[in-house]
Amino acid sequence: MSRVDCNNVWKIYTGNVIGVKDLTFTCNDEEFLAILGPSGGGKSSTLRMLAGLEEISKGEVMFDGNVVNQMGPTERNIALAFESYALYYRMNVYENIAFPLRARGMKNADVDKNVKDMAEALNLTTILKKKPAELAGGHQQRVSLARALVRKPNLTLLDEPLSHMDQRIRAEIRAQIRRIHEEFGNTTIYVTHDQAEAISLCDRILILYNAEKQQIGTVDEIYNKPVNKFVAYFVGQPGMNFIKGKIEAHNRVYVNSGDGKKVVNFNGEVDSKYIGTEALIGVRPQQIKATVNKETTSVLAGDVKIVEFQGDNDVLTVELGDTGKTNIQVVVPAGGIRFKRGDRCWLEFDPNFVHLFDNDEKSIIRR
Amino acid sequence: MVQVRFENVVKYYGRKLAINDLSFTVKEGDFFSILGPTGAGKSTILKMIAGIEPVSSGKIYFNDIVVNNLSPHERNVSMAFETYNLYSHFTVYENIAFPLRAPKWKLNLTRDEERKRVTEIASFLGIDKLLERRPQALSGGQKQRVSLARALVRKPQVYLLDEPIAHLDAKLKFSTQTLLREFAVNYGSTIIYVTHDYREALALSDNMMVLRKGKFDQIGTPEEIYYSPKVDFVGRLVGEPPMNMIDGELIQQDGKTFFKAGNSFTIELDKKLAESAGKNSFKADGKTNTRLGIRCEDIRPSMKKASKNSFQLPVYVIVHEAESSVISFELENTFMHARTSESDVFRNLKGSDMVWLDFNTERMLFYVKTMEISKA
Repeated sequence: MSRVDCNNVWKIYTGNVIGVKDLTFTCNDEEFLAILGPSGGGKSSTLRMLAGLEEISKGEVMFDGNVVNQMGPTERNIALAFESYALYYRMNVYENIAFPLRARGMKNADVDKNVKDMAEALNLTTILKKKPAELAGGHQQRVSLARALVRKPNLTLLDEPLSHMDQRIRAEIRAQIRRIHEEFGNTTIYVTHDQAEAISLCDRILILYNAEKQQIGTVDEIYNKPVNKFVAYFVGQPGMNFIKGKIEAHNRVYVNSGDGKKVVNFNGEVDSKYIGTEALIGVRPQQIKATVNKETTSVLAGDVKIVEFQGDNDVLTVELGDTGKTNIQVVVPAGGIRFKRGDRCWLEFDPNFVHLFDNDEKSIIRR
Repeated sequence: MVQVRFENVVKYYGRKLAINDLSFTVKEGDFFSILGPTGAGKSTILKMIAGIEPVSSGKIYFNDIVVNNLSPHERNVSMAFETYNLYSHFTVYENIAFPLRAPKWKLNLTRDEERKRVTEIASFLGIDKLLERRPQALSGGQKQRVSLARALVRKPQVYLLDEPIAHLDAKLKFSTQTLLREFAVNYGSTIIYVTHDYREALALSDNMMVLRKGKFDQIGTPEEIYYSPKVDFVGRLVGEPPMNMIDGELIQQDGKTFFKAGNSFTIELDKKLAESAGKNSFKADGKTNTRLGIRCEDIRPSMKKASKNSFQLPVYVIVHEAESSVISFELENTFMHARTSESDVFRNLKGSDMVWLDFNTERMLFYVKTMEISKA
């Protein structure tokens, strides 16, 4: 298995279009890393450079400490599974999985053992004789994965493998991909634009936007310690709320409202240079507590404008009583209070999960 | 604004039956969603209401008037298609203004009035900066919002929206969904909305219909559909992960009733549950079987035995999400998922570890089998 290092990697396309800008990160041995970002952010360029399908303009890609820049895709021994399964439609499942082994000239008996072991692990034993066209999407996906893994690759690269899948089986396929990763212990890099997928599958997440790395970290770090406003909003559904505030002291920020200043408490402190400046207060919809009556811990109040039932929760759109009449969203879990349109609601923020962003949209609280 | 009513409507495409004797009512001012998988007949229903497709038999009413023989423009509906259908030689402004200029509505707006209406709806949907562009210069998501704006700019008898936000990226989809809800609440118009995404249907609707192969399985409020699906198919279509459906045998022993799910687990049913299970049982291989439906948030996992009804299963895998974790278990013909908000308790859980489980008996539902469930 393999550790991957990207050191100051650039991808510059003709016409000086920058696809990837000075990217440095490490994917540890046996780690499951997601590369997450909106389209056009540089995800696919990065993946293609790792796979050897695209030239690296500047910088180094290393596998286990060895520079692989000059190696072709085959020499790098990488398993690639794309969103389109690209199975051979005339061959049955068995032959599809066997294909890369036969291409290497492996003996029949060895091929048979390898294919059967892989089929066993991925729950494909009963369908080995079927043709791809007869299979459901989830099965096709797993055959594609089996064919990728049977070569015992150094690194598995998955490019949006679930994006066309029926929502009803996605949860199941996610569970299966995670389980396969745990069983095989492969180093896996998973490219996706779907933040929910990245969060639920991976150990760590690398966020790319505008060709640049925004942040790399565990799910907890990305979700609870976003380094900038982009990451804060992009991760989480609905994304983080932002309310205009003014910083009063190292550990105090307030919101201007019709009836005076409302202080929002946060844990940690900001640099003195920010005192007296405006900042955006960030709070996740999932980390706000909404109550009917004013509690001693209530920070702000607002009127419920819209209620959206989501099954396991309600999403409220609340118009705050601040001077900007900011709309924020609040997630109320099932079993909690059922707010209605027009209701007054009081909001409580956990000081550990209050964020502040400066004019450059950078997170500025030191904890 | 009208009430829309279907009376025994049938639609054939050639010999293929698309809509099978469908009767239902959309109340005046209702936001009514039609939810179903691809090919269920959702778009066909909208096209028949619009008058673009004739019905094969049956009647469609707007209030008390049969509209079968009225042309699309006599029906006075406004429609947004999933495929946008924008005029490529017009600017975005002209596309949105088009329905306001159509002579048949006799709106006779002045230039200023027209500009005001177009700008209003365009800024509401966040496309006011694009008004002078042509459709070719727009992304798919932008085109879709233009198409939606064009449908919403006029006040017709009924709005017909066919997957109008399906092609927006996740964040924009969610915020546009909120805007649509706001629009519906502010204008109180009759809106019929087609989608295959259960979240949109739950969030937007006053009432919704779950459609399968040209017939509906259930009509109700989003809460009724989510908490009390009448058919296994409805439970599977709504929720992520979908409602767990566990097939098992009903066993009578010493005056007690047990539900036995293959070799995985056996649980005792109290009188009320036994009765409900009995009513929804079916015979297979000479045994009395039933299908247990339970949502993942109604299965409580713990590391210790929590009650006398607790039972143990080996973990297939655990997936940690931002605010909760989903633990999956492999049963004979399906996976079972349990959701917990106590992620920290299960932080170090691995595949094959044993976990104790308790079902929330108040949320257990029993079904006759109307669809096959297998592992993906």
